[in-house]
Amino acid sequence: MNRTFVEMAGRRLFLTNLGKDLYPSYGFTKSRILEYYRGIASFILPHLKDRAVTLKRYPDGVEKDFFFEKRCPGHRPEWVRTAEILQDGGDPMTYCLINDLETLIWVENLASLELHVPLARAGSHQTPDSMVFDLDPGDPANILDCARVALILRDLLSRMGLVSYVKTSGRKGLHVYVPLNNKETTFEDTKTFSRAVAGIMQKHYPDLVTAKMAKQERKAKIFINWSQNDASKTMICVYSLRAREKPLVSFPLEWRELENLKGQGDPARLQVVHSEAVSRTERMGDLFQEMLVKEQKLPHL
Amino acid sequence: MAVQGIWSGTISFSLVAIPVRLVKAIEPGRVSFHLLHSKDYSRLSQRMFCPEEKTMVSQDEIIRGYEIVPNKFILMTDEELESVSPERSRTIEIVEFIDVKEVDPIYYDHPYYLVPSKGGEKAYQLLVEVMRRTNKAGLAKFVLAEREYLVAIKSRDGALEMTTLHYSDEILPDEDISPKKETIAAEEESRITKSIEQMIEDFNAAKYADGRRKKLMDLLETKAKDQAPVEAPAVEEEEGEGPADLVAALEESMRKVKESR
Repeated sequence: MNRTFVEMAGRRLFLTNLGKDLYPSYGFTKSRILEYYRGIASFILPHLKDRAVTLKRYPDGVEKDFFFEKRCPGHRPEWVRTAEILQDGGDPMTYCLINDLETLIWVENLASLELHVPLARAGSHQTPDSMVFDLDPGDPANILDCARVALILRDLLSRMGLVSYVKTSGRKGLHVYVPLNNKETTFEDTKTFSRAVAGIMQKHYPDLVTAKMAKQERKAKIFINWSQNDASKTMICVYSLRAREKPLVSFPLEWRELENLKGQGDPARLQVVHSEAVSRTERMGDLFQEMLVKEQKLPHL
Repeated sequence: MAVQGIWSGTISFSLVAIPVRLVKAIEPGRVSFHLLHSKDYSRLSQRMFCPEEKTMVSQDEIIRGYEIVPNKFILMTDEELESVSPERSRTIEIVEFIDVKEVDPIYYDHPYYLVPSKGGEKAYQLLVEVMRRTNKAGLAKFVLAEREYLVAIKSRDGALEMTTLHYSDEILPDEDISPKKETIAAEEESRITKSIEQMIEDFNAAKYADGRRKKLMDLLETKAKDQAPVEAPAVEEEEGEGPADLVAALEESMRKVKESR
């Protein structure tokens, strides 16, 4: 195995197989992946901080088998921060917390291309700091139809007094987030609220939207998956790579930009690839910044 | 974790307005069972069946009829029904205060608790304390789920309890219940009085429990230990409506969104 030794902030890391191409049809080696995450680190780290991360690992690249790793690997360096989270069965599990650049590079060296995070932080994992609507298009609906739904959703939430933010899933869909950042809101609240919103959207736009999980209901419609608002669920972290043919990123968009892109009618333009993600964050900063601080409460609960 | 509210709004009278949430006060002890399909353990759902056509009837073919004489109906549309339904209210308006002792318990229907919302704690405490000291209850009209209720608000253990009351015309007359007056011998009356006196105790609800429920729960517990539960095939969660208040606010917002688009 080819190994490269690095030292960061006084911590020693062995990086392995840096030349291995993990996105073979695009051409993107592990060293480019590490480079991407190092470049985006100052933007992604605040969103990963203190969250019990689930690593989706692709040791042999995006075309081969992957596995979800929830339990923080036992062979971790001693400086990796962890959190014990009680599982549904009642037993605690040790999760990695990616709170610094060194840990981020360490998990990426494990080919954890995708980083999935819960909607709550480890210290208060029953208290979501945001509510999410996961918009998933059923064929032949596409990301442009998602954009239509997302924009209606933004308007509806805004009429309810709630500010929302949107990011691409990095696959086919969009994720609309409502920052909460208050201690009182529970997953029960976010679930009740998001479910009612999805129900109303389906009622008023029956040809465009479904709130039903069943696959046959989702054909040619946008499925508003409200059930992600659960302590046991995770969402792809903003700025994480996705394991598709190309190294696309789950990337935040401005609402105005989404309106424009919808008008242009080219689904491909809504996707953000790794290099664009780095240059755009350098230019625009973190469009998801408010997700970390904005305090809102769900009305009528 | 905050108790899920059924309704939220304000209690008001004269110049007082106290923000509150309505929460349930009782959890009926009934053990309920799901009906399952014996073959695959799916939860069964109810469908409407037309005995005439021998077929299931879909939601959009279902209408309402009020039976005036057997098999003769007056039809009623949703709009007509809505035209007589009271407006949703955001207030519990106390119209008078009465003596708690004056209310015949037969009027009491369903109890709830009122919980103070943010900013209302102080006024709430004051009302609790004054009502306790004076032994008074507030009478109010209140709309919940399209029905207008008469409610009594009382002080109970430092909190406010709200009980819906039956309307007087819902109470059935008792004149046919009591038998014709007959002369009763004095010794008979004193014998009964003595028997009752021997059995007098202080009321203590905790002394009594639902025996069948207890046995049923024990049986369920034993069975759960002895045998693995059967599992229903995964079905998606139904998209439910949500709290009436929230749904109404969403409908209103959606109307505005559509207008401005």
